[in-house]
Amino acid sequence: MGRQEPKMRISERALTVWRLYGWISAAFTLLAGAGVTTLAILFDWSVWFIIGSAIALVLEIILFVFVLPTLKWKRWRYEVREEEIELQHGIFVVTRTLVPMVRVQHVDTEQGPILRKYRLATISISTAATLHQIPALDIDEADELRDSISALARVAEDDV
Amino acid sequence: MSEEKRLHPITAVMNALKTLKEAFIPIVILVFLNRGEAESILDYLPFFIMGGMIILFIFLGVIKWWRFKYWIEEGELRIEQGLFVKKKRYIPFERIQSLNYTEGVLHRPLKLVKIKVETAGSSSNLDSEAELTAITKPEADELNRIISAAKKKLKEEGTVEGEEVVEPQPEEHILYKMSPKDLIVMATTSGGAGVVIGGILIFLSQFGEVIPYEAVFTELVEFVEAGFLLAGMIAVLVFFIAWLIAVGLTFLRYAHFTVKLVEKDIVITRGLLEKKQTTVPLKRIQGITFDQNVMREPFGYTSVTIESAGGSVLEKDSNAIRLLPMIREKETYAILNRILPDYHWKTEFTGVPKRALKRYIFWKMLFSLVIIGPVTYFFFPLGLLSLILIPLAAILGWWQYKTAGWSASRDQLTLKFRGISKQIVYMKKKRIQSLEWTQTYFQRRGDVATIHSTIKSYTSGSHSSIPHISKEDAELMMDWYSPEAEVKKVHEPLMNETELEGY
Repeated sequence: MGRQEPKMRISERALTVWRLYGWISAAFTLLAGAGVTTLAILFDWSVWFIIGSAIALVLEIILFVFVLPTLKWKRWRYEVREEEIELQHGIFVVTRTLVPMVRVQHVDTEQGPILRKYRLATISISTAATLHQIPALDIDEADELRDSISALARVAEDDV
Repeated sequence: MSEEKRLHPITAVMNALKTLKEAFIPIVILVFLNRGEAESILDYLPFFIMGGMIILFIFLGVIKWWRFKYWIEEGELRIEQGLFVKKKRYIPFERIQSLNYTEGVLHRPLKLVKIKVETAGSSSNLDSEAELTAITKPEADELNRIISAAKKKLKEEGTVEGEEVVEPQPEEHILYKMSPKDLIVMATTSGGAGVVIGGILIFLSQFGEVIPYEAVFTELVEFVEAGFLLAGMIAVLVFFIAWLIAVGLTFLRYAHFTVKLVEKDIVITRGLLEKKQTTVPLKRIQGITFDQNVMREPFGYTSVTIESAGGSVLEKDSNAIRLLPMIREKETYAILNRILPDYHWKTEFTGVPKRALKRYIFWKMLFSLVIIGPVTYFFFPLGLLSLILIPLAAILGWWQYKTAGWSASRDQLTLKFRGISKQIVYMKKKRIQSLEWTQTYFQRRGDVATIHSTIKSYTSGSHSSIPHISKEDAELMMDWYSPEAEVKKVHEPLMNETELEGY
């Protein structure tokens, strides 16, 4: 017997946001690389320092802007059922998590400035001992989900 | 008992001693800094500073004691304290989980106790903790009685849910008492002697500049040359003394170790000079762990700890409470059955598939190579000795493979695994906060997965996992855990005679 993968995917705009994060971190790498290059020219270091930082930058852009966000997005699944929440994520290490509704203590949604610009939100589901997050859901969907989870969690009460 | 009360005046001394203890290392450094000849009055300065600090500490201790008041009002324990800033803390009775008593060396002649107020842990309320440093025993019992009575009344009114009630005159059942023999076995097998020797070495290394190591070393070499027998005897003697110290320390901490069942609480008392009493409400128990280290396993000894939700933040070791620190495995079941009759202590286990064996061994061997490489390179001929890590890694991997197993009976998940010591974790389904499996790229190719289970412990989580179980089993376990899936049991608990032995 095999359990079904969770059905729902996260918002496609997550891809845009993650790529943006990738560009931002690439910008920092560029700065660092520029620093190294300047020093290398000033102090007559080996040319490999310059080549190395250029390669690092290119690799970072390929990985964090193009490859990883897509893979990450493809893997991300979630499903909120009446009595449980199931999550799946991870590129190299795939993680499948099952949280019974009875264990949920509270649900939060949060938005940073970038997420807000793309009308996205992160949902955090807390149990007494663990925290589970669904990144980058459409804001309306997230609000709805938060309300329904907290309603379902309230119904399913149990002692901890 | 609504009037404001102060703690016993001895608290002032205790406060001062506590501050002194915290400032102990700076003071020692201060003294050691000045070891030259005393030439002028300035050379005595550290001692003046020290004296001044001690007087200051006593003074502060007195003020702290004077400013500390506690009383009971409107169903709350209220505490007012603070040297410069007045702090008030109100703890509603229903938040109080238990009062834990400690009797220190200073408490006992005066018949006093220290009380720690344990609240139902919640990370957002970490500061709703309190400690009454020294009050008389009758006062403590009175406080306990008032709180219990109030909680009971609240419960009857239905205003509090899910809180336990302590009766005014509770029934007591002694479940377990640790014998001196157990204590000696415990000290011997805990590796305590090693810790003592290590401690001494660390202590010595702190004074590296004071001790002329080279001279000591040359003398040591001469000494060894003088006679291997003598050196061997001295080594044995050192170990023997370390062992004695370890036994002594164990006695200090665990003498008179007694587990009682008082109504719906487990009460654990222990300690020789400082008596400690810990109360664990049965309702708060999240899981039970059996831990068998390598030295105990062959003799069938184990130690049993409780994972409890809530507890005191002030007492750092309280999250895993040692219920039975040292006991023969087969004797545990009779005791545990009286505390937690709904747990199944013996069940069938499903192991990990054969294809997992190479995974258990491979990664450890690879890791051992990471150590062996540099060690061999830098200490060439002697460093080759580190090659022994390869077979050791293989043996450990094989051993972990043999130990790993899981069991999901009707309402209980039992995980069996080994780091170096063997652990068995018993968890009730309704106590498991979340179940998770992970698959690395390599595990995906071998169709195996690692299962993780989290229960609440203290204010955070306690995590147990078994690597490389077959993926089918991981999914089966998920189905067992899922409230919506059909699978309700995978394994059958075994109700055999070992479980009933000792009744």
